[in-house]
Amino acid sequence: MANRALNLLRASTTVVPITTRRSSFLSPNIWSPRTVEVKQRRSKRSYSTSSLEPPDVSRLAETARISLSPEEVEEFGPKIRQVIDWFGKLQDVDLQSVEPAIRADTEGDNIRDDIPETFPNREAIIATIPNFEDSYIKVPKVLNKE
Amino acid sequence: MALTFFRGVQTRPLLSYPSIYFALRKHNVSYCNMQNTQLETTERQEGQLKGSTREIHSKPHDKLLKDFEAVIGIETHVQLSTQTKAFCSCPYNYGAAPNTSICPVCMGLPGALPVLNSKVIEAAVKVGLALNCSLSLDSKFDRKQYFYPDLPKGYQISQFDVPIASSGSLDVDLPVEYGGGHRRFGITRVHMEEDAGKLLHTGSGNYSQVDLNRAGVPLLEIVSEPDMRTGIEAAEYAAEIQRLVRYLDVSNGNMQEGSLRCDVNISVRPTGQQEFGTKVEIKNLNSFSSVSRAIDYEISRQVDLHTQGLADQIVQETRLWEEGSQKTITMRKKEGLADYRYFPEPDLPGVTLSEEYINSIGSSLPELPETKRRRYENMGLSMQDVLFLANDITVAKFFDATIAGGADVKLAANWIMGDIAAYMKNAKVSISDIKLSSEELCELIASIKGGTISGKMGKEILFELMAKGGTVKGLIKDKDLVQIVDPVEIEKIVDKVLADNPKQLEQYRGGKTKLQGFFAGQVMKESKGKANPKLLNQILLQKLNATS
Repeated sequence: MANRALNLLRASTTVVPITTRRSSFLSPNIWSPRTVEVKQRRSKRSYSTSSLEPPDVSRLAETARISLSPEEVEEFGPKIRQVIDWFGKLQDVDLQSVEPAIRADTEGDNIRDDIPETFPNREAIIATIPNFEDSYIKVPKVLNKE
Repeated sequence: MALTFFRGVQTRPLLSYPSIYFALRKHNVSYCNMQNTQLETTERQEGQLKGSTREIHSKPHDKLLKDFEAVIGIETHVQLSTQTKAFCSCPYNYGAAPNTSICPVCMGLPGALPVLNSKVIEAAVKVGLALNCSLSLDSKFDRKQYFYPDLPKGYQISQFDVPIASSGSLDVDLPVEYGGGHRRFGITRVHMEEDAGKLLHTGSGNYSQVDLNRAGVPLLEIVSEPDMRTGIEAAEYAAEIQRLVRYLDVSNGNMQEGSLRCDVNISVRPTGQQEFGTKVEIKNLNSFSSVSRAIDYEISRQVDLHTQGLADQIVQETRLWEEGSQKTITMRKKEGLADYRYFPEPDLPGVTLSEEYINSIGSSLPELPETKRRRYENMGLSMQDVLFLANDITVAKFFDATIAGGADVKLAANWIMGDIAAYMKNAKVSISDIKLSSEELCELIASIKGGTISGKMGKEILFELMAKGGTVKGLIKDKDLVQIVDPVEIEKIVDKVLADNPKQLEQYRGGKTKLQGFFAGQVMKESKGKANPKLLNQILLQKLNATS
């Protein structure tokens, strides 16, 4: 797990010439200090997690479509923070002499030929759909995204 | 989970488009009559063009338009015509019964893993090369997360910070009716991704229906630089993308079926202003003429707001083009940046391309539309001819085959653009549906040029060939259409006609020389239309003017 995470982190630090980019993966109000900080990290190559701001748990819950009570928000904040700090230790690894990789190494390409194959047990999939009617999946009326 | 966060922190943001600004030119800004353009493709329905001559907005004053600049960029989604979906082996057929082409992978069931279809990479490399892009030897897939009922997994597999191709260009020839001209538009990037399912909104009832057949079908997203200035330029850019993917045979490019979808980004600002205007996105454009008309409408709308001092009413939003009212309407306002929380797709390895692979694809690329047009132009064809012939790959192939058989270039172009095109339009068929082969057209042209048959007879034969098939030689024989080119034969007929019409002959010789036409007609009639007209006139004149 940690190795994989390490790879991802390596990757991200090298793929991205960070100077002009603003963080938008996560919106600024979740991880606001990124812009400046990532830039510094990049140039110094010394990583530290101590400056991470506490996560905005309410917003994280919203983006994940999870309902949390205010008590839960209180409770989860420090826990999430703990996990992040734990993974944050990876930032201490010296990557000065490490070649960048954008993905974890895998053995060869894993691609397939373009040959159609019908999945045999589609009925079982359909059977698990909570609301299926007239060949369609029935969902609450939606007109707009977001 | 925590990995997600870390990754998120350090990767790059949503693409922001560099912008290029330009002045609107007054002659083609606000009115758009698409009736004569070459933009339509062969499968376009006649009815679609009806009503397109309608004026789309209150007439903006040229002066006002000159005071503003517009910026237009286009995002195009091209559905690849692979046999299977992008990450699973489900077959995809447009129009299949709903929710029949599904499996655990495209339904996003737990434990199911995606495996990339090799054809998707091939198509992406083809398009990337054809668009003069730089290809990434190492790219990867990312997850774009959002919640919507047409997206079973809760994320779309896409490419984010490392697209497979970037920094290219596309050459376009504007339609002659709009003043023509050649343009080169920048291509920001091309990336691979999967389509979502289809949502149907029932007229009544408070529910929507989802068909997931399309979920997971491979797409290429092609993002242009904001290099376009007018609706015509944008429509022609889109038409060229369609031509390109059809030439490359990676997609059917059919807009009605949604295999080619264009989203337009457009902003307007007062000329000379440094900051960009507020960008509006227009969706629901399902024909090239709607691309053009929607843009011209939107420019007018934004310029009007500017001139009324209401520029602050232009907000960043997504607008829908309404074909019925010929207007754009608000679909949704954007509140801040969408938060897609991209991170690398952990279920898929990176996408690596070898130089050999790229070279082998590069050397197998067909002649592209732009190259074809320049070649036709160099053959001496007019721009009108060039654009017509190169517009549709099947027509271009037919033309190429005809001239490869030795047919005169201009004559071949004339037949294809004239009688053949008219026939196709009438019968609503494509050139591959007609029974005429390029070999027979070649033969027909040669037969006329060689004098075996007249042009008029050629026409007659042509329609028979298109409708029923057969060969030129066979039809000439069957119909006894061989032109009479033997002067002795023609002389005989002339003599007979003169003998049959002594009165008229006398009048002619008395000075009524207009009667030459009468005699020519009689001779032609006598020969059942087969006399070579040139010889006929020559001999007739000789005889008429003979002293005795």
